[in-house]
Amino acid sequence: MIFAMGGTVGFLSGLFGIGGGFLLTPLLIFSGIPPAVSVATVTTQIVASSASGVLSYWRKAGIDFKLAGVLLCSGIVGSALGVWIFGILQSLGQLDLVISLSYVTFLGTIGVLMLGESVKAIMRRKNGEAPTGRRPGQHNWVHGLPFKIRFRRSKLYVSVIPIFGIGSSIGFLGSVLGIGGGFMMVPALIYLLRVPAHIVIGTSLLQILGTMAVATFLHSINTQSVDIVLALTLMIGGVIGAQFGAQVGQGMRGEHLRLGLGLLVLLVGLRFAYNLIVEPDDLYSVTVIEEPVR
Amino acid sequence: MRYITHSLLTVLTLSLLALTSLTPALAERLVSAISSSQVAITSNFTGTQILVYGEIVRDAETVPRSGDQDLVVVVEGPLERVTTWRKDRILGVWINATSQTYIAVPSFYAVHTTDDLRNIASENWLKQYRIGLDNLPLAALGSRAPAAERLAFKEAFLRARVQNGLYTQVSRSINFLSPTLFSTTVDLPANIPTGEYKITTFLFSGGVLLDQQEQVLTVAKTGFEQVTFSLSRQHPAVYGALAVMLALFTGWVAGVIFKKD
Repeated sequence: MIFAMGGTVGFLSGLFGIGGGFLLTPLLIFSGIPPAVSVATVTTQIVASSASGVLSYWRKAGIDFKLAGVLLCSGIVGSALGVWIFGILQSLGQLDLVISLSYVTFLGTIGVLMLGESVKAIMRRKNGEAPTGRRPGQHNWVHGLPFKIRFRRSKLYVSVIPIFGIGSSIGFLGSVLGIGGGFMMVPALIYLLRVPAHIVIGTSLLQILGTMAVATFLHSINTQSVDIVLALTLMIGGVIGAQFGAQVGQGMRGEHLRLGLGLLVLLVGLRFAYNLIVEPDDLYSVTVIEEPVR
Repeated sequence: MRYITHSLLTVLTLSLLALTSLTPALAERLVSAISSSQVAITSNFTGTQILVYGEIVRDAETVPRSGDQDLVVVVEGPLERVTTWRKDRILGVWINATSQTYIAVPSFYAVHTTDDLRNIASENWLKQYRIGLDNLPLAALGSRAPAAERLAFKEAFLRARVQNGLYTQVSRSINFLSPTLFSTTVDLPANIPTGEYKITTFLFSGGVLLDQQEQVLTVAKTGFEQVTFSLSRQHPAVYGALAVMLALFTGWVAGVIFKKD
């Protein structure tokens, strides 16, 4: 069952070119695995799935190691903070609530944005208009910030502040919600920092790999909710599924893929919202605080 | 320790009773056993059953009777601390709002009997020996909630435990194979916690406890499950590092196998 879930999510991640953590974690939660275990275990799975991606981008020289390093350092800070807060919320009995609320907010927002964007793109294509491409070299407010560093590989000269901001918030969200955050980081790097397209994915994958490895390690120590057996099952399923997904994805049009992904994201978000708003069958729930001495 | 003294006392009392042996009713003793003293939880464990069986032994001069003896088998898992939460609607969203924490509740609890518990022994006695779901000592830690509220939480806790198969109470589930031989099978579901289980068999007659016997059942994870589990609790840093390396390795292998470009 879990193997199939890993496979399905792997298929989707190959199809849409996403990490899939934000789909896998909810799937695990909905299938009855405790949210804490789902989140922590998916961080481990993301390490595996991003590792193979990093490898292939490395071969193609598609990684800016300096940028990834700065992102990673900030990611570790965010991740440590996330795991710490995760533990506190767990002891307060509010972890599930925060996870659900965050998913509703993020998936809702991103789903709507994606839907809007892809519908517009499809309409444009129907009307025969040329798609508006990105204009590289154009500067925005981000480029006016201080503490600039030069990144030769990405041909960038930007402030560390936005990089730290992006890296640490992705690290934080990743360790609290069990998501790699690629679907948020890639747009942020492209639109805020103007990182070239051929470098952005490899670089963000490396940052995700590092941050999630740290998150796995910290979750193991702090909340002891990483399940290696579950993670391994997910990894194997995911890896196989991703291959099929990528093949199917190549035969589809970009905006249709984004429309599908947007719908999917929105659905998962709505499912979380439903659980929060509709009165539960049983108002009571039991949590074991201190396991028996073994 | 208290436990050992208690059983010592029982043994002493019983031997004294055996020595004096005045009333025939008290001359009945209990011999019981379990089909296995160990349950191994492997990675494909889907639950198991344990057979509790035994014999009611009578002195030669005791007239064999059947029908008025009652047996109770209690299987109790290691104690744990749990919190029961209740959700309330706050700002349109269902949130864990109130809670009650119980210390030292059994992680597994099964009661099998020959008759309804209330026909077997007095309520006070059952309370004292913590026999039956209603008689488990569920005192909330530092709770000042009104009695009705505490009861609601207690019922919710028991309901949840019964639902996931960790707590059971079945009347008339002990079979008599002969007037003196008995047996019952206790289901141990897939989600049973590990640890030392205490299996106690009580023999009653006319509301009076005649004898009791106790066995210990060890439930433990074995093989890969056991290694990873104990590692995760005893050396979490090693476990974490291992998880990361395993993930990197899997990712690398996948990258090599499915190398496309």
